[in-house]
Amino acid sequence: MSSAIKWQHLLAWGIFLGVLALLPELVEMKWIKRGTLRTFIFANYLAIFAMSWDVLSGRTGYISFGHPFLIGIGAYTTGILNVRFGIDPMISIPVAVLVTMAAGTLFFLPALRIAGSYFALVTLAFMELVYQLVQVIRPDLTGGTRGISGVDTLARGAVNNYYISLVLMGVIAVILWAMMKTRLGTALSAIGMNEEAVEGSGLNTTKLKLFAFMVGAAVAGIGGAFYAHYLGYVSPRGLFEINLAFTIIVSALIGGAGTIIGPIIGAMFLTFLLEFLRVKFSAELTTAWPILETLETALKGQGRYFIYGLIALIIYMYQPKGIVEIGARLLTRIRGAKA
Amino acid sequence: MSVILSLDHVVKRFGGLTATNDMSFEVYKGESLGLIGPNGAGKTTIFSLIMGEHKVTSGSIKLHGQELTGLPTHKRIRRGVARTYQVPRPFAEMDVLANIEVGLMPDSILGMLTSAADHQEGKAIARSVGLSDADLHRDPAELSMGDLRKLELARTLATRPEVMLLDEVFAGLTAGEIEMISGLLNEKRQEGLTYVIVSHDLRSLEPLIDRAIAITQGTFVCQGSYSDVMNDEAVRMAYLGH
Repeated sequence: MSSAIKWQHLLAWGIFLGVLALLPELVEMKWIKRGTLRTFIFANYLAIFAMSWDVLSGRTGYISFGHPFLIGIGAYTTGILNVRFGIDPMISIPVAVLVTMAAGTLFFLPALRIAGSYFALVTLAFMELVYQLVQVIRPDLTGGTRGISGVDTLARGAVNNYYISLVLMGVIAVILWAMMKTRLGTALSAIGMNEEAVEGSGLNTTKLKLFAFMVGAAVAGIGGAFYAHYLGYVSPRGLFEINLAFTIIVSALIGGAGTIIGPIIGAMFLTFLLEFLRVKFSAELTTAWPILETLETALKGQGRYFIYGLIALIIYMYQPKGIVEIGARLLTRIRGAKA
Repeated sequence: MSVILSLDHVVKRFGGLTATNDMSFEVYKGESLGLIGPNGAGKTTIFSLIMGEHKVTSGSIKLHGQELTGLPTHKRIRRGVARTYQVPRPFAEMDVLANIEVGLMPDSILGMLTSAADHQEGKAIARSVGLSDADLHRDPAELSMGDLRKLELARTLATRPEVMLLDEVFAGLTAGEIEMISGLLNEKRQEGLTYVIVSHDLRSLEPLIDRAIAITQGTFVCQGSYSDVMNDEAVRMAYLGH
């Protein structure tokens, strides 16, 4: 469990984030396409959402199926303030984070009485409820079914937006990681293992859970608000979306729940898996093997989600603790072989 | 002897069932008290009521004269009362030392964020219940039932209780393990720990207690020395039916 922060850990974070910071250089050198950078931007935001989910659900075991509820509140708040009231993002974003934290308290209330699948279903209901509400209540503010367009962007171009998303993701990751390295992280994980025994150790589990929900909501709010300013619009179907909820959960789970690096790796893995599955075979190949053309057409649509689901399932069944654990075991084996 | 813990006319009803019926008794400082009664007598319910896991229907429970009813479990523990469970419930994915250290944590977010665990203290508690240094970094899944009981005791002792409620500590143990835990409890008793113990294994209980209280169907039957209680007619009726 938690152990002291070592310089090796910080160095590893530095190298990891440093490598990611060099990516735009590779675009300059034409090693990777500009479009790939856009994919990385999405992966960074997904990583933020997955980390937020993990603090709240991965640690305490209170599985949220409605995480987009929090992200959407963050995105909509900054969107409304910015577009409808002309408030500068430098103010609308912090306000959005505070509003999301307040919404997090609302999200927390069911956790006082219910747990397990009941809690998961209530969170799902939260998301659906807000999805319906934003379309009918004050459409002059929310933009109804169409949402809000014309949200101020913070930067122009893929490279600048990439840096914004990377810095956000990196700062959040390192702060959360340092926080979870303390006894607080241990206590939150202990709740996930046996909540009654934590209470039976003289710890106020309600306070601990509320704190986890607040931190999770704050991160979701930051992610949601910045994402809205990156996209330049917010829409109900883009945000309060069950697919987004599951992508977040799957990212955290196949990366490695209860860790910080896990959800990041999971988010990158999933994003690029989906991109990678968008294959284009050369004309020669498709002429030689017509089946490849069928495969290409299938993968363009929902077909790739099928394969993506299958791969995620296999990884999860092989190692429920995720890719991080697979990596760690591999490392131990290599070290063992050397020794 | 001063009273540490007192129950005064405690009643607990679950719907139509009265699990604890007008129960009153006192626990004195440094005493070891055995709570005996047949299956379903309501022994564990009394523990749950003292810990606040169930709310009393009426009556009062006091620790050092201060009312406990109305306080959540974690606050009662901070006041100085703690319990073990019939089935040990360790944190499965933490090693033995980390399990014990949960009991040593401050109940404050800021405290948790800013202070590091004192491994020496955790290790000292582990040793005091007879866990070896080799056990410290084992996962609970690797421990025998006897060692799991020790871990449960250690985690409970880490909260520094003045009164410990021990629920069926011998359940599922081999004869050797019973002897070991028994020796451990006797040691703690010599050190001045006050405890209330519940066990089906009356023979193992005998040398561990100063006084016994017999209950049946949630009702107080009698109290006194172990032999007095066991020879009581009402107790014999409850246990043996004659």
